[in-house]
Amino acid sequence: MSVPRARLLDLLKARCELFSTTFNPEGIRTGNKILRQRLKGPALASYYPPKLWSMRDFQDAFKDLHLLTDNEPELDRLDHIRRLKQRGKGASAGSAKNKKKKK
Amino acid sequence: MSMFRPKKMDIGCYVNKWVMRDNAKRKAFEAAEPERQALRYIIANTTLPQRTRAIAQLQLTQMHAYTRPTQIKNRCTMGGIGRSVLRAFKISRYNFRMQALAGNLPGVKKASW
Repeated sequence: MSVPRARLLDLLKARCELFSTTFNPEGIRTGNKILRQRLKGPALASYYPPKLWSMRDFQDAFKDLHLLTDNEPELDRLDHIRRLKQRGKGASAGSAKNKKKKK
Repeated sequence: MSMFRPKKMDIGCYVNKWVMRDNAKRKAFEAAEPERQALRYIIANTTLPQRTRAIAQLQLTQMHAYTRPTQIKNRCTMGGIGRSVLRAFKISRYNFRMQALAGNLPGVKKASW
């Protein structure tokens, strides 16, 4: 007892209409599998943790209140430069000019 | 490829040149992903004319290497190492051991049997 192919196709069509799937009895490749894929860019781009705040942001946040904020590493750096200059080992005046030019 | 690099540093973990490069690739891929998927759809769709599909193939291969997802490599967020990075913790095996022994990783403890 064999069922004719046309009747089977009718069944398939009815099933596709019922469950709102694509009727594609020949199995033609329409590339729909690529449209079904989710975008993975946002997940990949957020792999590294974001920068939350910097000392500059912190200082800017308290600027309106006129509170004094100490940036210790920056003070240390300026202190170090001051000491270098005292010994005559600081950066030359020309290097600062060149830096500005580059920008 | 400095044009893909964010103008301002936007990552707060350990940073070296490889981490910066990988981050730039991630950003580039995220921006180009819809375009890549559209081209991939055209290529995979056999009902479209052969010429259209061939052009799409060429366009996809000529996109910049940084927009390719295979260029992305998970790197250690504590040391920038690209080898033996544990996916669940995003750190390399040595850093994982150090952090786990120090008790900084919740739920991780040393096993012995």
